[in-house]
Amino acid sequence: MTSEYPSLFTSEQMSLVQLFVPTEVAHDTVAELGELGNVQFKDLNPSVNPFQRSFVGEIRRIDEMNRRVRFFSSQIEKEKDVIPIRPLYDSAPLITVGPRAAQTIDELDVTLAEHESRLIRMNESYQTLSERTKELVEARHVLRETAVFFDKAQVQHSDIRSSFDDSSAPLLQHDDRENQYSSASIQFDLEFVAGTLDRARVPTFERVLWRVLRGNLYMNHTDIAEPFVDPLTGSETRKNVFIIFAHGDALLAKIRKVAESMGATLYPIDANADKRADSLREVSVRLEDLETVLYNTGSNRRSELVKIGESLRSWQDVVRKEKMIYEALNLFNYDVRRKTLIAEGWVPTRDIPEIQLTLRRATEHSGTSIPPILHELHTTKTPPTFHRTNKFTEGYQAIMDSYGISTYQEVNPGLFAVITFPFLFAIMFGDIGHGCIIFFAALYMIMVEKKWAKSDLDEITGQFFFGRYIILLMGLFSMYTGLMYNDIFSRSLHLWHSGWDFPAEGNSTSLHAVQNGHMYPFGLDPGWHGAANGLVFTNSYKMKMSVVLGVIHMTFALCLQVPNHIRFKRPIDIYVNFIPQIVFLHSIFGYLVICILYKWSVDWSKSAVGPPSLLNMLIAMFLSPGSVDPETQLYPGQGPVQLVLLLMAAVCVPILLIGKPYFVWREMQKHEGAGYVGLSHGDQDTGLLDDEEAANGNGHSGAVVEDGEEPEHEEHDFSEVVIHQVIHTIEFCLGCISHTASYLRLWALSLAHAQLSEVLWTMTLEPVLGPTSLFGWIALAIGGFFWFSLTVGILCLMEGLSAFLHALRLHWVEANSKHFEGTGYAFVPLTFAEN
Amino acid sequence: MAGVLPVFFILAIVIALMTCAAVFTPKGPQQVVIRTAIMLTLASCYLMWMVTYLAQLHPLISPIRTVEAE
Repeated sequence: MTSEYPSLFTSEQMSLVQLFVPTEVAHDTVAELGELGNVQFKDLNPSVNPFQRSFVGEIRRIDEMNRRVRFFSSQIEKEKDVIPIRPLYDSAPLITVGPRAAQTIDELDVTLAEHESRLIRMNESYQTLSERTKELVEARHVLRETAVFFDKAQVQHSDIRSSFDDSSAPLLQHDDRENQYSSASIQFDLEFVAGTLDRARVPTFERVLWRVLRGNLYMNHTDIAEPFVDPLTGSETRKNVFIIFAHGDALLAKIRKVAESMGATLYPIDANADKRADSLREVSVRLEDLETVLYNTGSNRRSELVKIGESLRSWQDVVRKEKMIYEALNLFNYDVRRKTLIAEGWVPTRDIPEIQLTLRRATEHSGTSIPPILHELHTTKTPPTFHRTNKFTEGYQAIMDSYGISTYQEVNPGLFAVITFPFLFAIMFGDIGHGCIIFFAALYMIMVEKKWAKSDLDEITGQFFFGRYIILLMGLFSMYTGLMYNDIFSRSLHLWHSGWDFPAEGNSTSLHAVQNGHMYPFGLDPGWHGAANGLVFTNSYKMKMSVVLGVIHMTFALCLQVPNHIRFKRPIDIYVNFIPQIVFLHSIFGYLVICILYKWSVDWSKSAVGPPSLLNMLIAMFLSPGSVDPETQLYPGQGPVQLVLLLMAAVCVPILLIGKPYFVWREMQKHEGAGYVGLSHGDQDTGLLDDEEAANGNGHSGAVVEDGEEPEHEEHDFSEVVIHQVIHTIEFCLGCISHTASYLRLWALSLAHAQLSEVLWTMTLEPVLGPTSLFGWIALAIGGFFWFSLTVGILCLMEGLSAFLHALRLHWVEANSKHFEGTGYAFVPLTFAEN
Repeated sequence: MAGVLPVFFILAIVIALMTCAAVFTPKGPQQVVIRTAIMLTLASCYLMWMVTYLAQLHPLISPIRTVEAE
């Protein structure tokens, strides 16, 4: 029975539907359903491995296209200059449904293959050209440097000419003296080897050559200034040009071998200067040509990538959607006789009309006349849990779902967490100023939410953005609790007339305030601010408030059990679980709360007895029940009242322990008495009936689908029920005490927050207030800067996260343990929306 | 010195407001959320105010300020 509107109180009602889809219209149907995002398909071929499924071929083709698209996007990313990628909402959509769909996909496949081959070819040629360029650059360097060597040698020879009388002159000059008259250019009959070598290896090279050739060589080398960049890896290598002069073929051969083993590149250099000049010119010309070609290739590649960037996002989108469609189609069952695909899935009952509309639309688009047929099935299987959230409730539901998915149709704690979570946070965070800061931060995020939702946020910002509505309410409530605690950045507000008057400063060191008849109506009296015993009062107040609010929160959570018991048709539970639990909790802690409130409302200065300690009273209630010392009594007749309450609590424990098992046992006796046998044996046969019924289901409404493998109801094993109940009782009774004490964290964190805030104020801003000189103003600016950044960093962020965590814990452990079952599984529909 | 009367007075007002919220929230897909939120807000804010008010009604100690000897 669906009500008019969806409610967050329990999960939506879900139906199991069966779809009969003619094969021609299957792809378009799934595409439309994916856009709608409302159907969770069941796998009807669980025993088939992925390679045997019907649509494996299409998926393989899509995977190939996916690989190409990934290749493009990685190529675009590697480019140094950013290539603009047109975002998805700006791109023209590719039509993938309807009669032209197959053609579009084929065209896309061809386009992607073309782009890929072109890109690969360009990459390869770019690489080859780069290597060629590198070689030519090296050759040019070698030519230049060796030219320098030869020129230097020529100069030296003209110097040496003047001293040829010297007998110790080297052999070299003899030849030169002969040749100086013969030709202008100097001829060497010393052969040489020239080339380039890695700079790091040059010393080793020299040493090796010296040893091998026994010093019969002359080697010169210079650095090449620019490093060579490897086009693939981008690493730089520095090289040197070397030229080695030696005499004789054997020596030259040795030099060549050593050079090659050390990884040098040898270049043929002519001894003749003219020829060298010619080869230098030739190399330069070739280098220029190559660089032009290289530049052209680079710009072609870039323009190709830009063209790809225009459509990349729409390709990625199409490929992703197609893959999801075919994977969903693989879950369907192919009925060979009727040539239709049969699908089963969970849908929210409320959405069935919308889905039928979608199916009709899909048929219209594809141009066939046979619409898919949808009909509901009755089943005993548990549907998935679906909470229909909007952007406001989404965050709250997510944090409560992290604890566990609610059982189908169970009361949803996420609904109440919308207010209780920010409120409990605010009790621990209470400061008007800090609340303001986080409120405005959340407000800003909400104002730019449309823009931010489209852009890629990094993980941490994304988390804060996801919880922006939670943070908004946290800030709002923090401002309220800050008003209650009268705390704004550790100062207090004086909005109304304070109830305390301080005497004028006299000789005494301590001033005691006197009540003046006023009552500060809203919040903590500012008279307590700065008092030496201020903490004594606020601690007592906050601790008692924590206990009061804790007991009320736990009672509220306990009461949420009742709708569950009613909905799941177990009214016995209300009497044996709910009522004993409430009585137990309230006879002890509810009584404590009432005593706290009563003690506050009594004017002890006018009463006969002094104010009794509540802690002692509670302990005495257990240790000496029934007797209360008149000197320390809270109210007359306290003794018998406490005795009665204690007895009530004591009686609840056995009721909790034995009540439910007793009733279950009675039920079992009744069943066995009537002669029924357990259903555990006959399950195997019903599995075979499944396929038959599914095939015959067309036209029959209300087919009953039983899945024999999964037992739906827990076995009525009596021992299990007893054990479960024992655990439940112990957990509850001990939990009462420990959870009530756990709520004291509300006090603890708010104390820590207030103290941190005060320390920050006194250490950063207070000493620099009231600046008198320029130095004072500068100090104020610096102090203010520190104060603000530490306020945001420590007090808002760190304390905020801490209070968030503790408030969440209170919800998960203290509240949820009172009513939550959490055995459901989430509804995961096929949807193309990206999260 | 005000007594406990304001506590009950404000309680009556809050209960009235909660009833209004329960009855007059417009029907729509968000009715349950809005109604729950308003009622819970009213209840929790009232509780906190009540506790703060009662705690200061008849305080057992009075604030003491120590004068620092200059």
